[in-house]
Parts: sequence; C-alpha cells; structure tokens
Amino acid sequence: MKTNNMAGGLLVGRRAILAGGAAAVGLMAAPSILRAAETLKVGVYGGYFKDSFDKHIFPEFTKATGIAVESVAEPTGDAWLVQLEQAARANQAPADVSMIAQVGMLKGINAKLWTALDLAKLPNAAAVLPHLVNKYPDGRVAGIGAVSWYITLVSNTKAIPETPSSWAALWDAKRKDQLGLMALVSNSFLLEVTAATFFGGTKHLDTEAGQLDCFKKLSELRKNVKLWYRDEAQFEAALKAGEVPMGQYYHDVTGLAVADGHPVRSTFPKEGGITDSGSWAVSRASKKAEQAHIFINYMCQPSIQALLSRKVGTAPTIDRKKTDLTDAEFAGVSSDIAPIIPRYDLYLSKADWLNQKWTEMIVG
Amino acid sequence: MMRQAPRRAADYGPIAFPAAMLLLFFAVPFGLMIAVSFFQRVEGGFYEPAFVWSNYARFLSVFFGRVLSFSMLLAAGVAVLSVALAFPFTYLLTRLRRRTQVLWLVFLLSVLSLSEVIIGFAWATLLSANAGLTNLLVMLGLMDAPTSLSPGLGAVLVGIVYQAFPYTVLVLYPALSRLDPTLMEAARTLGSSPLKGFFTVVVPALRNSIVATLIMVFVFALGCYLLPQLLGRPQHWTLSVLITDQALFQANMPFAAAMAVFLVLVSLGLVGLSLLVGKKENAA
Amino acid sequence: MSGLALDGLTKRYGSFTALQPTHLTIPHGQFVCLLGPSGCGKTTLLRMVAGLDSPTEGRILLDGTDITHKPAHQRNFGMVFQSLALFPHLTVGENIAYPLRIRGVPKADQGREVDRLLGLVRLPGVADRAVSQLSGGQRQRIAIARALALSPKLFLLDEPLSALDAKLREAMQIELKLLQERLGITTIVVTHDQREAMTMADLVVVMSQGRVRQAASPIDVYRRPADSFVADFIGMTNLLNGHVSAGSLAVEGGALAVPGLPASGPATISVRPEELRVHREGAGPNRLPGTVSFIRDLGSHVEMRIDVAGREMIAVATPQDRPMVEPGQRVGVELPPTSCVVLPS
Repeated sequence: MKTNNMAGGLLVGRRAILAGGAAAVGLMAAPSILRAAETLKVGVYGGYFKDSFDKHIFPEFTKATGIAVESVAEPTGDAWLVQLEQAARANQAPADVSMIAQVGMLKGINAKLWTALDLAKLPNAAAVLPHLVNKYPDGRVAGIGAVSWYITLVSNTKAIPETPSSWAALWDAKRKDQLGLMALVSNSFLLEVTAATFFGGTKHLDTEAGQLDCFKKLSELRKNVKLWYRDEAQFEAALKAGEVPMGQYYHDVTGLAVADGHPVRSTFPKEGGITDSGSWAVSRASKKAEQAHIFINYMCQPSIQALLSRKVGTAPTIDRKKTDLTDAEFAGVSSDIAPIIPRYDLYLSKADWLNQKWTEMIVG
Repeated sequence: MMRQAPRRAADYGPIAFPAAMLLLFFAVPFGLMIAVSFFQRVEGGFYEPAFVWSNYARFLSVFFGRVLSFSMLLAAGVAVLSVALAFPFTYLLTRLRRRTQVLWLVFLLSVLSLSEVIIGFAWATLLSANAGLTNLLVMLGLMDAPTSLSPGLGAVLVGIVYQAFPYTVLVLYPALSRLDPTLMEAARTLGSSPLKGFFTVVVPALRNSIVATLIMVFVFALGCYLLPQLLGRPQHWTLSVLITDQALFQANMPFAAAMAVFLVLVSLGLVGLSLLVGKKENAA
Repeated sequence: MSGLALDGLTKRYGSFTALQPTHLTIPHGQFVCLLGPSGCGKTTLLRMVAGLDSPTEGRILLDGTDITHKPAHQRNFGMVFQSLALFPHLTVGENIAYPLRIRGVPKADQGREVDRLLGLVRLPGVADRAVSQLSGGQRQRIAIARALALSPKLFLLDEPLSALDAKLREAMQIELKLLQERLGITTIVVTHDQREAMTMADLVVVMSQGRVRQAASPIDVYRRPADSFVADFIGMTNLLNGHVSAGSLAVEGGALAVPGLPASGPATISVRPEELRVHREGAGPNRLPGTVSFIRDLGSHVEMRIDVAGREMIAVATPQDRPMVEPGQRVGVELPPTSCVVLPS
C-alpha cells in the first residue's frame, strides 16, 4: 500500500529496508537494457547496498578492469527473480550479474535460470567458504557467495545486565513478554536455532517429526515474545529503548548501535550465530558472461572482501586469515564460532507447509 | 429538454473515458488477480497457468476463517470508532469560520501525507512504557508506573483509527457542510437541546452519508497491513497481513490472489448487504 | 405587564451594529410585521426573540419575565424559517409530531395532535407522505403546523412566503391572517414585502439600517409615515422639499398651503399618488404646473408621470376619474392640503 519497507526475508535481505520503491526503480531501469550494451549491469538490493557498492566498490572495479558497471536496484521479494526469469525467456537480461538470496538461488537453479560458472575463470573463488558456493545437482556452479552477515542474540544491557551465552536464554521464564523475533519462518531461522540448541543440530530438521519437535519447542517461546517484527527499524528502536530488551538481530547493525553509545550488545551464542548470505549469479540470457566472470572473480579477492567488511558491514565470504582484517574489525562483522547455517532447502521443498505451521504457531 | 436514449456509438462518448479508466485500473487488474488465483502454485518455483481450486481449498480452514472474522471485526470496529469521532468533529468544524475550516482541512490533509510506517512508529512510541503517554499519567499521579500499551489490540485500533480519521472527515465534510443549518435551529425552537437536536436531526438526516462513510472506512481498514504488524501481536494480524506474507515473502501468488479475491468478495457482499438493509429501512 | 417587550435590545458584530438599541412593546394577540429592506436588522431582531442569537445588550421580557438568556429550546415559541427547515428524514406526520416526541408525548396523543394540526392548515390525510412529495404551498402549511404543535405563546415567521409564487403568496397571506385571528396567537412575521405587511399586520414595524423607523397600524404607516424613508418604502409617494415662508411651503414651481408646517425653515412633505389631482389647467389653489411625460394604463388604474419644474411626480387615478390628458400636454397638479403629510426633516 505505502512504502515497501518490510524486512524482506530470504530474498530481500536487511539492507533493502531503505529501498522504498525499489521495485519501481527496477522496472524503470528496464528500458536502459539496450542502451548500455557496452557495460556490465549488476543487480544489487536497492537502498543501502546499492549506495555502498556505487560508492566504494564499482568505481574501483572499473578502474582495475576497464569494465564499466551499471548498477541496477533490485526490487524486494521474488519480484526480481520473476523479472529475470521472464526476461530470460525473451532472451533479455535486465542485469547480467545479480546478488541473489539463497532461496532465490535455489529457485533459479530449479528454473535453470543461472549460467553455469567456470571456476577456471574464477581463481579467487577457490577461497570462498564451501557453504557459500551454490551448485546445480550435477555439480556445476550456479553462484558464488557475494556477501554474508550474521543474525545474533541481542540484548539491552540496562534491562539485562548478565550477558546471555546461549540461544536458550530466549526460553528463560524471566523473559516473559520481552522478546523481539522476526515474524517469518523464512527470515527468522528459529527452527534452525531450536534444532541447534535443543536437538543437537539442524540435521534434526531432516524429518517432519523433527520439524514438529522444533515447532513444539518454539511454541513454548510464544509467551516470551512481545514483538514479532517484520520492520527492523521498529525492533532496533525498541531494543535501544529497552522496551523489548532481547531478541535476534543483525550483528553488524547492533555493533553500530553500540558504537553510538546505545545500551545494547550482540552475542554470538555458543551454538553459533545464524549466517545468511547473498550470492552472485549470472542470468542465462546475459551475453556478458566473460565480463561477469571477471567481476565475480574481482569480488572474491581478499582485499575486496576486507573492503566490504569495513565499508558495508558484511562478513567476509572467505577465510578471514586471508584478509588483513584486524580482530576488532572481524568481530564487528563475524565470529570464529561455527555458525548455524539455515536449511534453505526446506524453504524450497516445504515452504507452504512450514509457513502455515509457523503462522498458526505464532498466532496461537 | 428531452433525454434521448443513445443511438449511435458516438452518443456513448461521454462515458467512454470513465469506462476505460474503470476497465484499465479496476476490471483488468482484478480479472488478472482472479485468473492467478486459479493458477497452480509450484513450490520452490513460481506458478504455472492452470485451473485449480486448491488455492481456495487451502483458504477454507478454521485458521483462515478466524483470521477473516477478526479482520472483519477489526475493520468494523475501526469504521464505527472513526465515524463516531469524525462525525461530531466534522459537524463542529462546519460551524466554524471559513478560514478556520480551511486551516483544519489543510492540517488533516497533511496527516494524510504521513506514511503508514511513520504513523505506526509514532504510535508505538506514544504507547511505549519508556517514552509513552502513560508517563504523563504517572506524572499526573493517575498511574503508579508507566506501562506499555503496544503491541496490542488497543494500539492497532488507535493506529488505524488515527489513519482513517482524516479520510472520514474529508468524506463527511461535503455532506455536513451542505446540511441546512436552519434544520438544527428549527429543532432548537421545537424544544431540542443542541445535543438532542444533533442526535434527532443531524444524525438521522445524514444517515445515508454515515452508512456510506462507514462502508468506506470499513473497506479502508480491511486493506491495512502495516499497522497491524507494527502495533499488534500475531493474533491481531489481519488477512491483508497474511496476503502480503504470501505474495511478498512466500512468492505464493496464486494463494495470495485467492485470499485477496475472497476478501474482495466478502467485503462486496457485506457492503451490498448493508445497502440492502438500509433500503429496507428506508422503505419501511 | 402582559405581552412581549424589548428593552433596549441591541446586536453588534464587532464594529458593525446589526440592531441599534430597540424598544418595542407587543401586546398579546397582535399580528406584527417587521418590515424593511434586506439588512435592516429585522431578521436579527426575530432571531433574538426566538433565542437563536443572543443580544449584545438589552433585555427581552415576556409577560414581565426576563427571558433574555433562556435557551431557544426552553422558550416554547413556534418558528417558521425562510427555508421552512422541514426535516428531510421524517414524514409529514413525524415532522409535525417532532416537538411532541421530544417531550415524550404518548404516541396516540401525537397522532391525534398531528391530525388536528393538519386539519388546522387544511391538509388532512397527508401525515404519511414524505416531505419531498408535497408542493411548495403544502410544505409551507406543514411548517406552520409543526410550529404550532406546542400551542406556543409566540409564533415567529422569517420571510415565510418568499419562496411561493405571487398568487399563492397572496392566498397564504390571507389564510395566515385568518389562522392567527382564529388562534389569537401573538405573531411576528419578518417580511420585505409591504403588501404582505399591509395584508396581515395589526402592527407594522418599519425598520432600516438597524433602527425602528415607525411602529404603527398599517394604515397609519401609509397615511402618516414618520419619515421620508417610511413614506418612500411603503407604497409609492411624492416627496417635495421646500422652505416655509409666510405660512406656506415654497417648492420648485410654486407655493403650497399645507397644515402642520413648522414656523420656518426647510420642510419635506409626502403626498400619495392617488391623492394628486391632475387638471388640464395649470392655475388654481395648491396647483403646480407641469408636463405629462408618460402615461400607463394598467386597467385597474392609470398612472401618470408628470414633469414639475424638472422633477417627476406620479399621480394615480381610477379609470372613472381619469383626467383627459395626453403625454406632452401641459397640466396643473393639485395637492389637496389635507393629503399633504409634513415629514420631520
């Protein structure tokens, strides 16, 4: 109805909150497809991401390679995927390379939307953490991790003096009506958190019985939740004010709030923070596969990953030891504790069932 | 002057433009939505053209029935509250000097320009324990400790009513400013106090406008999807919230479309019913 | 003291005075017309009596009781508005029964009263109709019936007949007067139509610029206007300005013998057109010489415009008394001394 400012689940990523009307921008960008034949069109989430990339990344890339970049603001949700797919059927590519969230990657793989990437042309990609490389069932590479970030256990230091150490703190009876959690099954990853905390790992989610175990455990949490949020700014404000003193939130954004002097903290629980990421993928309709490979390879460089951590606040997609990030800089965006990796496959194969169960669970 | 029935195609000229607009901006999108609502959802993908009832079948459950009834009740509550507040307000407004009226209307229009998000945030803050209105009550000694009034049903109602209020005033304003002021004076000379005259003359004389406004606010409130999220708990989420979830986050267009079609049909039905009841009342 | 008394009643809006301090006494049973051009303060006066506006100064007394600050809904005065103000959402019967319903009169009694009132305004059997189904004249009667439902002490009407066509208006004037006589109810009507006032009123209150110019019986207002405004506003008249010298009034064209002249100084007299006599000869007592400029024969009477020393005088004669004159003819205009009214200058 009004501004599309929702936290966009898997496909949108947190940065898109600033992308009011990005959908319109994306559509309006379409006519420029023909004009900019000599440049590489790169789709990034509109708003904060696009602004940061335009400012810190793309000019450097053009300087280094001579390839001009035209950045395209991606709309939120599945809209971009739909546009890419429909354009591809007409042999058009609104963007050659796009930053795509994980479930979107999987959907694109199902639709054979992505050009298979040639690792020989991506020497730097060898350093990318294995869970951030997307593959077709036959092993061909569909996407390479672009950025990743962490969702951690956050709390207000005034309201909760003791630092929590486990996600189990969410279940503490003392936290009655005090939590702020993300409202969607597919962006909160609380099933994974529950499985990792109480059932020995996300493997427990392999079976429906295991999923139901986690739902059951999660429903105990309900009375503790004051705010099931879709709008990140709303939770952030409530957390800073102590109105909602605990919850899950983005590690790097919380770090910025700490730096600003707000009484908040971000904790990597012993079970690990939740990592989420976006990947670079190339539309099969793109005629710029060469340049796209050069771009992706460039982005995988340790120096660029460090630059992203410093300027955009994302966690490196490669082993930190290969970067020149200081401990403090690294702690600002990531952690050495093994992360909880979301079960993206579930959100593809059982999306509707999980969503329905989840909604019924939180509505009660 | 005789009115002649249109004979040639050109005689329909004057209505061609509105008809085209209606077709372009209502009939076509709504038709597309109906079509999509019968498409086959492909889990893990998008949807494919088909003719299946499964999207509607999924909707026909106790869970969605409860959400739908809550949405309807919420919208009805918002409609009644908005009109109950806006009607006397607008009545008093139309009694003021022209200049003052214009200032008020400009102010209300500027409230309209606020986005739902800003309204939601503002009310979340106003109803919070830390910075909220209850602190004032504590200062005045009326309360012991500040409490948080959001999220909750009250907060949702307040937020949507706040948003609907300017619309309500603007819809009621023409009818109330056209109302012959001597009607009220006649009521006074016939023995009604101003309050009694308001309820026995102004309200019933404008009951058609009131019903029309109620329906408008009802439909408006039915479409709200941000404020219930910002100010409510999950049990206060309306069907529109779930539609948004399905469309934006689950990429389940067919199901979202089926729910939207159902919502439109139910609200059209309710509107029709209330008009029918109104007609019967008028005839009786 | 019985009746309505206005004691220095005044209404000011900021620096604008709508009604100058006004004193007026209206005995019970009188039919009063407030007459004047628009903006003269007559409606303001009526609204204050009704309690719809509050006076800036002064008091309103009813049978000796001060009701200045009594709210309108406690005054029990019947009022008919220019717009009629019939309630569009109620039937004819419900409109008439409204004041009874407000007071909790039992339903059956309401019905009987509605029937009686509809009989009174000679519209029986329309109680169940919608107001919109009635003609202008019928609505008029319904508004009157509704205002009379409480047997009010005062019956107030604000330009009640202005929306009707001329013929219907005349008929309603007579009917309203007869109704008032039958009920014996003190009635105040605001009008700008002097014919209407002459038809109905026992007492005509002529107003202009927020001031009462004259309050008198219709015939007195006509025959003995208090000032040139009243003389001019009520019917047609000939106003002549002159100087008193040697007991007669010297005007352009000659000297006139007029009773009641001041001893000296300037004076104005008013002579009604029907009092003038037009002679073919210019000379004679109290005659002024002139030239006929225009004649119109309206059937019921003949109107002659005569140029007398550069100013136009109007004379009216019945067809029987019509003098044999033609336009352009030189004539003598006689002003009979008893028909000349000396106006205060």
